[in-house]
Formats: sequence, C-alpha cells, structure tokens
Amino acid sequence: MFWFDQLINGLTIGSVYALIALGYTLVYGILQMINFAHGEVFMLGAFAGYFVLLAVGGDDLGGATIIPAIVLAMFVAALASSSAAVVIERIAYRPLRNAPRLAPLISAIGVSVALQNIVLRMTGGRDRVYPRIFPGGSFGFGDFQVGYIQAFLIVASVLMMAALLVFIQRTRTGRAMRAVAENRATASLMGIDVDRTIVTTFVVGAALAGVAGVLQGLWIPNIRGTMGFLPGIKAFTAAVVGGIGSVPGAMVGGFFLGLTETVGRELLSAIPGVHLPNEWSDVIAFSLLVLVLVFRPTGIFGERVSRRA
Amino acid sequence: MRELQEGADRRLRAWRGRAAGGAALAAQPWHAARERLRAAEERTRLPIANVLVLVVALSLPFWPVIDSRWLRILVLVGIFVVLGLGLNIVVGYAGLLDLGFVAFFATGAYTYAILSSPASPALQADLNWWLAIPVVLAVGSVVGVLLGLPVLPLRGDYLAIVTLGFGEIVRILLLNVVGLTNGAQGLFNIPRPEFAGWVLEALDHWYWVLVLASFILAFAVGRMRASRMGRAWEAIREDEDVAAGMGVNTVKYKLLAFAMGAAIGAFGGLVFAGFFTFVNPSSFTLLVSINVLSIVVIGGMGSTPGVVLGALILIGLPEVLQFDETSRLLSLFNPIVPFADTSLWGRQLASARFIVFGLMLVAVMALRPQGIFAAARPQVRLPRASGR
Repeated sequence: MFWFDQLINGLTIGSVYALIALGYTLVYGILQMINFAHGEVFMLGAFAGYFVLLAVGGDDLGGATIIPAIVLAMFVAALASSSAAVVIERIAYRPLRNAPRLAPLISAIGVSVALQNIVLRMTGGRDRVYPRIFPGGSFGFGDFQVGYIQAFLIVASVLMMAALLVFIQRTRTGRAMRAVAENRATASLMGIDVDRTIVTTFVVGAALAGVAGVLQGLWIPNIRGTMGFLPGIKAFTAAVVGGIGSVPGAMVGGFFLGLTETVGRELLSAIPGVHLPNEWSDVIAFSLLVLVLVFRPTGIFGERVSRRA
Repeated sequence: MRELQEGADRRLRAWRGRAAGGAALAAQPWHAARERLRAAEERTRLPIANVLVLVVALSLPFWPVIDSRWLRILVLVGIFVVLGLGLNIVVGYAGLLDLGFVAFFATGAYTYAILSSPASPALQADLNWWLAIPVVLAVGSVVGVLLGLPVLPLRGDYLAIVTLGFGEIVRILLLNVVGLTNGAQGLFNIPRPEFAGWVLEALDHWYWVLVLASFILAFAVGRMRASRMGRAWEAIREDEDVAAGMGVNTVKYKLLAFAMGAAIGAFGGLVFAGFFTFVNPSSFTLLVSINVLSIVVIGGMGSTPGVVLGALILIGLPEVLQFDETSRLLSLFNPIVPFADTSLWGRQLASARFIVFGLMLVAVMALRPQGIFAAARPQVRLPRASGR
C-alpha cells in the first residue's frame, strides 16, 4: 500500500536522522555550539563500514555470515567516527573554546570542507557502492509490507537510542555529561574532568553517527564524500525541531522530520496539478527548520536557545 | 553649556567599550564626533596608495607576461572580489554569518539571463546589460531583504545553517521552476554587454571594467562603513543587545546589511552571466558560498584589501599553479626531492584546493582570527573636557 510504504520510508530515514541528530544535540547541550562537521563524521562512518564489508568478503557474503560482518562494520565505523571526532575536537574546537562566537563555527566549516574533499579525492570523485548483502525481501500481511532492511534500520536505531538513554541516565560518565551540560564551572568544582567529559560527548555522538552511516549504506548503497552534507543539515533540523540540547527531542525530531519530508511531499503531490520531485524533500526540511526557529525556537522539548548570544 | 559638555564627556567615557562606543555614535547625531571620525578616516585613507594600486591594476594587461590566460584568471578573480566585497558587509561589518551567499549571486545572474537570453522561456525582454545593472541591484536587495526577514531573530550558528538552507533552496528552485529558468539546461546565448556599438567581449576590456567596478564598489563600501549605518553594523557585530540598548534600530540595520550585501552579490552574478554568456544551476552550489566565505575570512573579516588579497590567493593562485610554466619551474626541485615528481605539485595542490581552504579556515581561526589583512577600525578620540 502506497501510503503505508511512505510511512515506513519516513520512519527509516527518520531513524538515520535521529541517530545523527543525537550527536548535534549532545554537543550542543554541553558546549552550546553546532558541530558543523558532524555530517562528515557520519560520512566517515559510512566509508569505514564499507571498507570493512569489502575486506571480509563483499558481495560474496551470504547466509548467517552477514550478521558478524555487519556487527564488525558497525563497530569499526563507530571507532573510526569517534577517532575523527576526537581529533576534530582537539584541533578545531578546543583552542577556540573562549574565542568569539563565530570562530569555532568557521573552524568547523573548514573541517567539514576539508574532510569532504579529502574523501572525494581518495575515491576519485566517484560513488562507492555498498555490497548488497542484506536480504531484499519483506514481511507483513497483505498490502502492509515492511522491507527487512527497513525493519532492521528502525530496530537497530531504536536499540541504540535506548542504550544511549541508559548510558546517560545510569552511568557515572553519563552523570558527568549531564552535570557539565548543566553548568560547566560547577561541574569542574565538583571534581569532574570537564575536558574529558567534552571529549566523551563528542565520542558518543560520533559513534552513533558512524553506525548511522553503515545503516544508511546498507539501505541506500551509494556513498560519496559529500554524502554527509544533506543528512547533516537535516539531522540538525531534527535536533532543532525536537528542541536542541534535549536527547529525547532529537529522537522524536528525527522521526518527525523523516515522516514530514516523505509523507509530506507525497501529500503535497497528491494535490492535483502539483508534482514535486524528490529534491523537494530538502525544501520541506529547510522550510520546517525556518518555521520552527521563527515560531517555536524551543522545539518540542527544548529550552529557548536560538536567540541566546 | 560647560556642564552639558562634561556630562557628554562622562557618558562617552562610560562607553569606551568598542561596541557601546560604536552604538552610541550610531544612535546620536553627534556632529563633533562625526567630524572627528571623518578626519580620522581621511588620515587613514592614503589616497596615494589607492591611486597607485589602481594604476598598477589598470596597467596589468600591458605587462609582457600577462597573456590571455592571466587575464581570464584576473577576470575570475575580479568577479570574486565583487562577491567578497558584498559578503564582507554581511559577515565582516555586521557579523552575520551568511552561508547562502550563492543565492544572491544566482539571483543576479538569473535576473539578467531571464530578461535577456533568447532561450528564456518567460519574461524575455532583450534587456541591455548596462541597463540591467540598476534592475539587478534592485532585485538583489529585495531578495536580500526577503531572505533576511525570516532570519532576523536568529544569531550565530542558527543564522549560518538557515542561510545555508536558503542557498540550497535557491539551487533547487533554479532546477525545478523550469518555466522561468529552463531547469537543468540553464539559459544560454546571453547577450554580452553592449553600449553604442561597443561590445564588451575582449578579455582586457572585461578586466578593466571589473577593476573600475571593484574600485567604485570598494569606495562605496568604505563610505558605508564610515557612515552611521556602518557604525550601527559594527555595534551589532560586537554586541547586538548592547547596540539595541543604545538605540540602534537593529532590525533596520541588519536588513540594510543583507540588502547591501545581496545587491553587490547580485551584481557579481550579472558580471558572471555577461562574461560567460550562459548560466545553469550547477554553477550555483554551496562551493561558491564556501569560496567567498573563505576569501573574506582568510583575507581578513571587514577588510577591503583583505578581500582582494583573499581572492587573488584563493581563486587566482590555484589557476596559476596549473600553468605549464609552473610545472617547469617546480620540476627544478626534482633533483633535490626524492621519490616525487615535483613538476606535478602545482596541479596536485590546485586540485586539492578545497582541502587546503578548509584547513586554512581552521588555521586562521586558531592562529590569526583577524585574517591576513586585519581590518583597520575607524577610531575616534574624544577630547578631554577642558579644565580637567
């Protein structure tokens, strides 16, 4: 059924947005800065996963061997993305922590441009294609069919989000992250190593983005150096919609944005005389961003921050 | 009278902070302060240096080394100088980080293309390029205000990402509103500028027109900066809340910054369309915005010579690196550098230019945030009140 398919597509892409959005929101909560290079961290994860899958057999993988292969790919992707984030934080953000507002932002744009072009250059500007190892079928009854891959994406990302919530709420490190987000100076006085907590935050956000890169690669196989740009902005939109700084907000915002841009575009296209090609999803997402920032800057769950200097 | 003077003097000292000082000057028509500011401006202006630069720039086509390849590059650099001057108002003066500057560049190019190209599906009007200048400036500033209105309450990061979105939306619109823009094919056979039988076609003519245009624009921008409007911009950049508190109409001046920047960006688009005689959406990507931003930031935010130098380094140098002469020159290093063909270095560096730009942005922010040419800030020294 067409509308059901759109709903599932929206949830699937939304789960990718949600995973990336968590990285924005975690870093924002702690540093009040937008990590512009986060989309590129996602891209690096996708590439790391791609090389792992290629190394362990590529298209020849089949049957039960795909499970350990995918798990390994996700693990390495998380590792690669986290390492990249640690380096980025150390080089581009930490020296500018007390600089004027625009400085870390411009620095982040620089990192983002450099990373995109480094990968583009290493891949010769051509797309790489993920091995198609995931079984292509679907399940469900009658017209209501869900692809295995889509179900896998949604379930995997929901599990990761649950793990993140437990991490933040139940562990010492999670408590330190919340404390630093609440008040950096006070947290430091309470004996929390603020620098280390900030790095941890970057690492957690980047790991989620890296796994999201592999998940998206399994679903939409073409990857390239610039692939992080659009999901990056959209995940940011998702974080803002949910209320930036709020972890549940980023999750809800991700799914909300995924649904809005797929189902919303189809709904608009259903108006007679209107035909909106795929790119209009982007227009819908950006318009949503502007509307939310102008009319409800707090998002669904967050505090009012967009006007804070 | 004396008390009044002392009162004013006391208040002024309280406003010594840069932001507050600028805001105060912008808010009150203080004749004495204005006079002094003007005098200070005049002193720092160095007209001789400007005339010298102009003469050297205009004479370049007569230099024996400058052939058509160089001129082509210089024209390209000139277009980016124009764009940089526009973005410099928004980012450098008013401190509004606009990542969607390509939107205004595209507006200018497409306004002229739609009104003049024989391939234009609608509104074709055989508009003369020279007559298009006021049209494009007007359309550009209107688009600047329109895109500025929704982002007025946003600051810093949010402004950046929303303007980035606007840049993308404009590109998607260019691709999809086929009835106006001819979609992905774009518009071609755009007429070259023509005036009383003189068709602007030769590279050296284009170059001279661009040098003169850049000088006029640089002068205009310099006057804007020295005006009340410019002081309001700088006050907003330093601290918007303080500026508003001092009576600066932040809404008006932010919109003016967007409008002025957009008008100049649109003029850059007009030059682009007239020079290349075709436009299509693939010329108006995020990379243009990144290029212009890099020029402004690396050259020195708020600095006009910085824009020129930035454009020469970021736009001109990568092209020159690809010359055969450069390869030959670089191959001289071959005997001392093992395991590498040094003659390829120029081309390799040129093709990796965006990697270098990105790293340069990071390095400039960390090591020299004011850029290569730190902007000179117009300063006013107020006299001590007599008898103290």
